[in-house]
Amino acid sequence: MIFEIIKLAIDSLRANKLRTLLSMLGIIIGVGAVIAIVSIGSGAREQITAQISDLGSNVINILPGTSKGWGGSISASSVEVFTLELADYIEKASPSVKRVVPISQGSGLLIKGNFNIQTTIIGTNTDYQVLNNYNLAMGQFVNEGDLDTSRNIIVLGSGLAEELFGSNNPLGEKMKLSYQERDYLFTVIGVMEEKGKGLAGDLNEQAYIPITTFMKKLSNSRFVSYYMAQANSGDEASAAVGEIEYFLIKYLDDEEKEKFNLLSQDQILDTISSVTASLSLMLGGIAAISLLVGGIGIMNIMLVSVTERTREIGIRKALGAKNKNIMSQFLIEALSLSGMGGLVGIAFGWLGAYAIAQAGKWPLVITPISVLLAFGFAVIIGLFFGLYPAMKAAKMDPVEALRYE
Amino acid sequence: MLEIKKIKKIYQMGKVKVEALKGVSFYIDKGEFVAIMGPSGSGKSTLMHIIGCLDQPTEGNFIIGGKDVSKLNDDRLAEIRNKSIGFVFQQFNLLSRTSILHNVEIPLIYAGQKSKQRRKLATQVLESVGLGDRVKHKPSEISGGEKQRAAIARALVNDPLIILADEPTGNLDTKTGEEIMKIFDKLHQQGHTVIMVTHEAEIAEHAQRIIHLRDGLIEKDEVKT
Repeated sequence: MIFEIIKLAIDSLRANKLRTLLSMLGIIIGVGAVIAIVSIGSGAREQITAQISDLGSNVINILPGTSKGWGGSISASSVEVFTLELADYIEKASPSVKRVVPISQGSGLLIKGNFNIQTTIIGTNTDYQVLNNYNLAMGQFVNEGDLDTSRNIIVLGSGLAEELFGSNNPLGEKMKLSYQERDYLFTVIGVMEEKGKGLAGDLNEQAYIPITTFMKKLSNSRFVSYYMAQANSGDEASAAVGEIEYFLIKYLDDEEKEKFNLLSQDQILDTISSVTASLSLMLGGIAAISLLVGGIGIMNIMLVSVTERTREIGIRKALGAKNKNIMSQFLIEALSLSGMGGLVGIAFGWLGAYAIAQAGKWPLVITPISVLLAFGFAVIIGLFFGLYPAMKAAKMDPVEALRYE
Repeated sequence: MLEIKKIKKIYQMGKVKVEALKGVSFYIDKGEFVAIMGPSGSGKSTLMHIIGCLDQPTEGNFIIGGKDVSKLNDDRLAEIRNKSIGFVFQQFNLLSRTSILHNVEIPLIYAGQKSKQRRKLATQVLESVGLGDRVKHKPSEISGGEKQRAAIARALVNDPLIILADEPTGNLDTKTGEEIMKIFDKLHQQGHTVIMVTHEAEIAEHAQRIIHLRDGLIEKDEVKT
């Protein structure tokens, strides 16, 4: 009997293909959107999380604080706090901290022959490579000797090397670096391996020089831009944050914590997670509304269908259909609409998520729970909005229904 | 077999009460061919709806096959319609979307018959009314006379106690109408109980008994010898 009724429902939906498709559209879009959005959200989060833990969950950025504007002056980064020596002091004063790497950075123009590229120049020391878990593709990184003698040597990111030298070996090549309208001659000693895009930008498009060279020749300053500190382990990261904070408040006599700012990977992760989660939630909510609208569309079409088929209902009742037979016929029709819409929506959502994951270069993450949830919600909506039309059909008076023209 | 006892049917039309049947009683025996005649407004449609278990009387009793059905609920009535009554309508009332075969199978579906058995029975009945070669056709692809034959096949398929026909020739030309009436004659000869509502005297002549209704009452109940 139930099989008969399902067949009946499908037959009647097939008789009005265009109408069936149009009334399913809302559900298709809703289910597809829910699946795609949830997938994109988790894919993006997974990618960002992977990048951050790639850097090590035990990394803490020590940034200069933002000074409050005095009178008419604009608030600005108080850069003139961090010195090379302070990095050592922090390292020594904090037992949970393994190393503190000073970093100076600025924008410079690399010139090789007819090519030039505006890029980020990072002045740092040997530990930078270890802290960032960043390997060389060829040559070597900045070493102690380079630092002591402030040599004009440069290590290129993989993207930069490719753009400037193509397939030629860049090691030992000399190139010009133009920084704040002054030119310097540098020798390439290494090329970094390719690395995924990070939060700070594309590491592959950066160049690395000894921090002493940066400070003495390029910036002409005794202050660095910021520090990257590394805790002994991920578990000790929060202890390290506390130690650094305690030390800096005392050392800089900065009770208000105005001169510095600590940012641990955990914090960044938390922030990103909450941002992506609330974004997913918001978009998911919009998708859910589309599901609801789809449900109303189904109810509308089912009401039309019931009215249109009043005579059919009368005939069926005359031939012995009970109220529950008529009810299940129309309810199953509504459920088939929302169910098929749900299935097509899953397919579209999957495709959409796949396409966007390809474009965004992140992994395709489709959780069974989001598929089940979206499909289940679609079916429940079909049931809910199909119930009233089905009841209306079941309650029809056979005499009236048979008279209907 | 079928007994109508002092049946009244009162419709409430707004504030006005309309008495469609004012106390009608008669008995129909198994194998009878009865025509119910009357001008419009005589109550013959109302009477037919009550005999067909599509509607229930306001007062009085209706007994079919030894069972009083005048106070049954919707579901029980649906069962009686399914098992005991075969409808033939003026408008044929076939479902246009599906084949003739499927149309004839519908009463068997609601009776809970299995698919194989349904197909066998429906094909047999369709063959008996001369539509063996039309089973796969849709109602729109066959003539009016063939549609009414299909409807008769549908009425017969559950082997009902009575065949209830409402103006069965009303939408057909005279010649086709005569052909359909021959089928009813044959059914009568085979022992089926046939009740037919009509306003055409010529058609009513096929019956052995004619009940004349006027203003909700029986005017005349003539049995031909």
